[in-house]
Amino acid sequence: MRGLIRGSGATGTGRDLRVDLFRGLALFSIFVDHIPGNRLGELTLRNIAFCDATEAFVLLAGYAAGLAYGAALDRRGWLFAAASLLRRAGALYVAHIFLFVVFAAQVGYSAGLLDNPAYLDELHLDPFREQPYVALLQALLLRYQPAFLDILPLYIALLVLLVPALPLLRRPVLLLALSAVLYAAARLLDLNLPNWIDGGWFFNPFAWQLLFLAGAVLGYAPPGPDGRRGIPPAVPYRGWLVGGCVALLAFGAVAMLVAFEAPEWLALVPEQVGVVLTTIDKSALHPLRLVSILALAYLLGHAVPRDAAWLRGRPAAPFLLMGQHGLPVFCTGIFLSFLGRLALEQSDRGPMQLAVNLAGLAALVAVGAVAAWYRQRGEPAGGGRAAARAAGLPVPASSSTTAA
Amino acid sequence: MVMARLPGMLLLVALLAPAARAETRACISPPELLDAGAPLPATVRAVAGRSLRILVVGGISVLGPGTSGPEAAWPARLQALLAARRPGVAFEVVVRGRRGINTAEAGALLAEEMAKAPAQLVLWATGTVSAVRGLEVDEMVEALNTGLDAVKAAGADAVLIDPQFSRFLRANANVDPYLDALRLVAAAHQVPLLRRWDLMRYWAETEQVDLERAPKPERVAATDRLNDCLAQAMAALLRAGAAEARDQLRN
Repeated sequence: MRGLIRGSGATGTGRDLRVDLFRGLALFSIFVDHIPGNRLGELTLRNIAFCDATEAFVLLAGYAAGLAYGAALDRRGWLFAAASLLRRAGALYVAHIFLFVVFAAQVGYSAGLLDNPAYLDELHLDPFREQPYVALLQALLLRYQPAFLDILPLYIALLVLLVPALPLLRRPVLLLALSAVLYAAARLLDLNLPNWIDGGWFFNPFAWQLLFLAGAVLGYAPPGPDGRRGIPPAVPYRGWLVGGCVALLAFGAVAMLVAFEAPEWLALVPEQVGVVLTTIDKSALHPLRLVSILALAYLLGHAVPRDAAWLRGRPAAPFLLMGQHGLPVFCTGIFLSFLGRLALEQSDRGPMQLAVNLAGLAALVAVGAVAAWYRQRGEPAGGGRAAARAAGLPVPASSSTTAA
Repeated sequence: MVMARLPGMLLLVALLAPAARAETRACISPPELLDAGAPLPATVRAVAGRSLRILVVGGISVLGPGTSGPEAAWPARLQALLAARRPGVAFEVVVRGRRGINTAEAGALLAEEMAKAPAQLVLWATGTVSAVRGLEVDEMVEALNTGLDAVKAAGADAVLIDPQFSRFLRANANVDPYLDALRLVAAAHQVPLLRRWDLMRYWAETEQVDLERAPKPERVAATDRLNDCLAQAMAALLRAGAAEARDQLRN
């Protein structure tokens, strides 16, 4: 299996395995968190932090996009990079519509099992039953996003937003300043894309773009004087910054644990302080959620050395494979979570819990392995890319399975 | 061995069954789910004054749909349980619920009712409609923050009630963010939360009441039983909250 992992051979290759590892972990967490009633979900990040796997996924997706499309921008120009971004967004759109059809079928299937149509009528859960044609149209317009199908539309919107922002990767301060202005506008003016049923998108792309673009800035490696790409510059180590990040994450952990495990302790703080906790919204990425994930990334980036030996060890391998092939693994994970929910609807006892999580993990690793194998087979033999680069020839853009 | 014991066991079951059916069966719940975690001072004062008015607001579930009759709905069962326990106190339970109302609409209903005739205890069941329709979590939280502040300002106690558990709902709607938000809101305002979702899940897992798996002919009986269990759980939660309030008064 480890032979399929890119950049795992010699140390000192350009690929940052830490990013792949944490992306793999985030992808598996998203699968787990998309199955309510899954006991493994009690062990994921959301229980001890203001942020969860969604923030990690968006940040790392931004990182991968900055790396891949930034490189495409420098080698082939904006038009080419923009076209590949839109092609990727199109692929995601098709995947989303496919998953939407799966969702509709799932609701129909479990409604049939329920044998209690009165209950369904009460819930109004099924817009298909009420207005099927309108529901279909709204889904195509991304204005109708059923439960658990809200991350892909966000991802699509973020990739489209990256098209005009791409040239600004070379001027990161300006890019982040503009991005912060849009974020503030989204939060203060309730700027959001519309939702058919009520309000706006569950994940407001105008707010979440700040995290995505921060990731893109971190992932972009400017070409050096010799035209070769270096390692993306890291945020330098500062004692006070580490202290601040630790304090922030500790505060988040205490707040979450107290609120859910010992709520009576909140009686010790003024009611207004407690109410602030209730207003930490995920929809428009509350600032505390934003800084929490950035703090976590900063600490992990400095705690785990780039060339840590365990990154090349056996336990890390499955997650590296998943992380290196984010798109197919993500879409498969969302699809498998439908099956997982149906399985837990039948029985949510121990054996089924174990079966769902093990089968899910195995399937996601298998998807990563197949994608890696396919990519290896498709590459020119004998380090063709390196040879082409050395000869100053154009190098093909990153494979479609790895970028963003 | 087993065969020899069987007739004896059947006899025992036959003897016990009629008696068990005649009176209310206790529902078994995990004690931590019946812990109020916050005091109910206004309720204690009202009970000491021998008259407690309870206002129940929420969606369709407070009306006890699918039960054998209005007296089997959980608010009516709660009133009966309270009256049996404290005969000298006049308990009045007022139910205001409508099918499919969201938290903000329930908040408006609550304010209207409190202006008409103040209650000393408000039981607010909410979250299902928001979760099912995917309404914004922060809108639900804002409506709750406003509503709970108003109840407190009126000198009354509040108890929140989270959505009803259902495997179907769990598989087809993203309920968790709404459940988490309700727990946070209850903790922040220090009001008790009846964790109906976890309670009903426990009752289903322990095969005490499982509405979704009840065969059609037994559905009404199962719904009655569910409402009875909910009333028992609420009564236990109120007792715990009242005990906390008395402890605070003593200290």
